[in-house]
Amino acid sequence: MATTRAAIAKVVFLAALTAAWLFHGSGVVRNEPERRIHIPEELTMPLQVKAAYDGERIFFRYRWPAERPHLYHDLLRYEDGGWRRVGQSTVGPQEQGIYEDRVSMMVDDGRVPDFDRYGGFVTIGRQMRFFTDQADREAVSEHPYLGETKGKHDVRKFLPATRRNPADWATVVPPDKLAALRETGYFLDLWHWRAHRSNPIGESDDQFIAEYRYGDAGQGPYSTNWDKEAEQPEWMFDPEEVGFRALDWNAIAERRLGFDDIYYLREGTAVPFDPEYDWQEGDTIPRRLLRAPEGSRGDVSVAGEARWRDGYWNVTLVRQLDTGHPLDDKAFEHGGVYWAAMAVHRNATGSRWHYVSLPVTVGLGHSAAIETVRFSDGSPAWRQPWHELTLFYPGQLNWPLINSDRHAGAEQVAEGVPVRARHTPGQLAHYAVEMEFNRAILRNWLWTLIAGVLLIAGFGVALVRTLRQRET
Amino acid sequence: MDAYHHMLVHLPVALWSTGVLIVVLRTFSAGPLAVAADRVLAPLLWLGALGGLLALVSGLFVWGLEATIHSPLGRNQLLVATWTFAFWVVLAALRQGAGPVLWEGGGRWLMLVLAVLGGFLVATTGTLGGHLTGSSTAFSRFLEALGWQVYTTFYLPGWMIVIVAVVGLLLAGMGRGAARAREVGR
Repeated sequence: MATTRAAIAKVVFLAALTAAWLFHGSGVVRNEPERRIHIPEELTMPLQVKAAYDGERIFFRYRWPAERPHLYHDLLRYEDGGWRRVGQSTVGPQEQGIYEDRVSMMVDDGRVPDFDRYGGFVTIGRQMRFFTDQADREAVSEHPYLGETKGKHDVRKFLPATRRNPADWATVVPPDKLAALRETGYFLDLWHWRAHRSNPIGESDDQFIAEYRYGDAGQGPYSTNWDKEAEQPEWMFDPEEVGFRALDWNAIAERRLGFDDIYYLREGTAVPFDPEYDWQEGDTIPRRLLRAPEGSRGDVSVAGEARWRDGYWNVTLVRQLDTGHPLDDKAFEHGGVYWAAMAVHRNATGSRWHYVSLPVTVGLGHSAAIETVRFSDGSPAWRQPWHELTLFYPGQLNWPLINSDRHAGAEQVAEGVPVRARHTPGQLAHYAVEMEFNRAILRNWLWTLIAGVLLIAGFGVALVRTLRQRET
Repeated sequence: MDAYHHMLVHLPVALWSTGVLIVVLRTFSAGPLAVAADRVLAPLLWLGALGGLLALVSGLFVWGLEATIHSPLGRNQLLVATWTFAFWVVLAALRQGAGPVLWEGGGRWLMLVLAVLGGFLVATTGTLGGHLTGSSTAFSRFLEALGWQVYTTFYLPGWMIVIVAVVGLLLAGMGRGAARAREVGR
């Protein structure tokens, strides 16, 4: 009898352990749009990078896998007698697949402390756009500098020294100090290629990050095609140029318009919107008007054609080594080493639903992770192998958290130990996901610990009491 | 505190590992060496449990509780270390309570299975500690192959927590029932 009881106890104990093993890690992590949480199916993705330069220009070539290209961005669709916006930034993928693909690259020349070791993490504060605790629009709009002076309504990337307290987005240092920081090179250059808002005209956006993410001085490669007062587009397609005034919504929804079709509105094929025209249900006009960029903002262009083919995007960007805009751009020079961090948006996602890299070194005639090959005639031969990067989903990880008591490695960060020395991209992605559900995971973890002790103790009582009986 | 923790963890690791070896030896042998080794098994495991308790408590001070419970790896270390300690306490109590009769018939296989499970828990605790200090082993890849990525917190869904707790209570009840039956039998 005692042997049977002990055997039953053993089987029940092992069955409970097996079940626990099989079901662990479930029941908590799920998409919660009301908390602005969407977890991508893949937490990491590869990105291949090459670079080349001659005496004047520097080229970066990027290649990454994507199931399909997303060329369309926000659109204005005519329905029920009015124009409705379709395809704005949402939590996770835009449900109709209407959000452009992107690749971006932050660059520093060593004048932003910690960027070389922690990359884009240094630009992420609390309460940023699309975070669960996103700052109120009103609070930002009423902020004396960000709202009233700069006209901003949300919190985007910023560098820590632009705040008195980097954990509080509202503590912006005085404008004269911001200007002094910029002049000493305390900003990150941001190359920002977009599949809709710049690529069709062979351009990339050129931005920078200081106390906010700004466009460089000058005119960007797109404007917003919307007349607020009249609540209608400002521009439509020129029927004499392209043969129609608007796109057919069905062609968009069914993704029939590709690289060789007209799916974008640009200067030269656009004319002022005609409100008197007999617009029909489903007529669709892009909400962005593409135009030739000017000034510092137009420094980065597409070399050749950026195309998606056979499951991969291939994008090559080019810029002058020194643009002559030292307050917006980081100048490259022969013999220099720079730091870069890349990001990719794919699968119709915007905002924080991107994949990011850890910082990598870029060398021009200098040993580095990405060794930029020098060429002298025409264009790069691209014979060198790709530098392989693993990008990861960064969730809502932020610089204040990384430097807080809640991060076991905060002391190492203070000592300057690089993130790469202790974490892989895959680990960071898992950590990012867990921190989005921290409270629930912490609760279930604690109860799991207690239940496990109870199971072990119960098993012990069963065995000891049963077998002691046997002994007697 | 981390240096003291690293020093203290050697005690339970050494004693419990020796305990596993003794159980394996005694499972397959009734010779004088195996029997002699078995005689020290219970005190050895109790010493291991004492060392385990010291290691567990000192481990809480390596990073502070706030950092530990906000790190998936830290949570896992705390959970597995606690389970490991509890499990080896059970083994010590079992060996002491049941005596040499444990090795009769199928009992020896029960002990072998439990010792292997205890060794698995010790190895898991150790490998998590290795990850926390930045020197990991391939054992975590084995765990990943079994379905657990150690950089994700080990937790159960609510319904499974209830089942595990209820099973624990039922097992305790089974033990009490056995004790009562023994009393009646007397």
